[in-house]
Amino acid sequence: MINFEILFMNGYGVYVWPSFIFTFVICLGFYLKTNKALKKLEKDFIKEAESLSKQEFENLKKQKIAKEILVSHSKN
Amino acid sequence: MIKYLNPSYIFNLTGKILSLVKFFIIPIVIVGIIFSLFLSPEDYIQGDAVRIMYVHVPAAWISLLCFGTLSLLCVINFIFKIKSMSLIFKSLAPIGLTFNIIAILTGSLWGQPTWGTWWAWDARITSMLILMFFYIAFILSYKFIKDPLNSSKICTLISLAGLINLVIIKYSVIWWSTLHQPASVNLTGETTIHISMLIPLCVMLLAFLLYSALIFLMKYRIETIRVKKKGLK
Repeated sequence: MINFEILFMNGYGVYVWPSFIFTFVICLGFYLKTNKALKKLEKDFIKEAESLSKQEFENLKKQKIAKEILVSHSKN
Repeated sequence: MIKYLNPSYIFNLTGKILSLVKFFIIPIVIVGIIFSLFLSPEDYIQGDAVRIMYVHVPAAWISLLCFGTLSLLCVINFIFKIKSMSLIFKSLAPIGLTFNIIAILTGSLWGQPTWGTWWAWDARITSMLILMFFYIAFILSYKFIKDPLNSSKICTLISLAGLINLVIIKYSVIWWSTLHQPASVNLTGETTIHISMLIPLCVMLLAFLLYSALIFLMKYRIETIRVKKKGLK
């Protein structure tokens, strides 16, 4: 049984609940958008890296950041 | 010291911290919500409307903290031309803007039951709105000005002008007669808020800080990969 008094909050629920919902919807939306952009960029980076010649790809793998991107993406 | 400012060192570190932040964030958010919505007491004047404080106040604080930090980084970047600084402030600005919007929206929702109005051109609210415009101008500057030197100059100018606005936000409740009450939580002076409300406020602040760290780390990786990707072409 839902305790409606908790939801109603003496009449202030109409202000309190939307405040929390707005906050969490904005935060969740921002997180999902950022996560999607990161995954896409990692994917594009790997795609472009793979289109390099073997020698260039080996040189790229020696760079710390590129190596980390390749490893972190393969983990996911 | 130089090692810690190296983009590859920071990038490597972001990967490790990211997993740590992801592990802690959900339990802390849940605890924060339980405390702020159910366990904390209602205010003797505002009643349950005071619960809006637990999202409004941390959001406003983080918004100010982000702008203050990015202003400092802009100045450092402008003087010393450190590559990783621009990556950091580009990652911070969208977070600050998000929390600024949250603070304005939740402030409006808090204003209606306590002051009887959704919006008032009071000094604190107006200066927070101006901060939002500073954030927008800052983000547009680094996004659309292609020349890095010009972009850096304009970003530094905007951030310095915004810094004056930060001082106005902080002291607006003292300098002018506003609807907002003076600060209840002080790092240097006396904190007048009761411990039963201070704990949920701190937990929510921690949750928001962790969320900011999470987004910051992801944004930092995005900006770094973007730079690396350009180097591939």
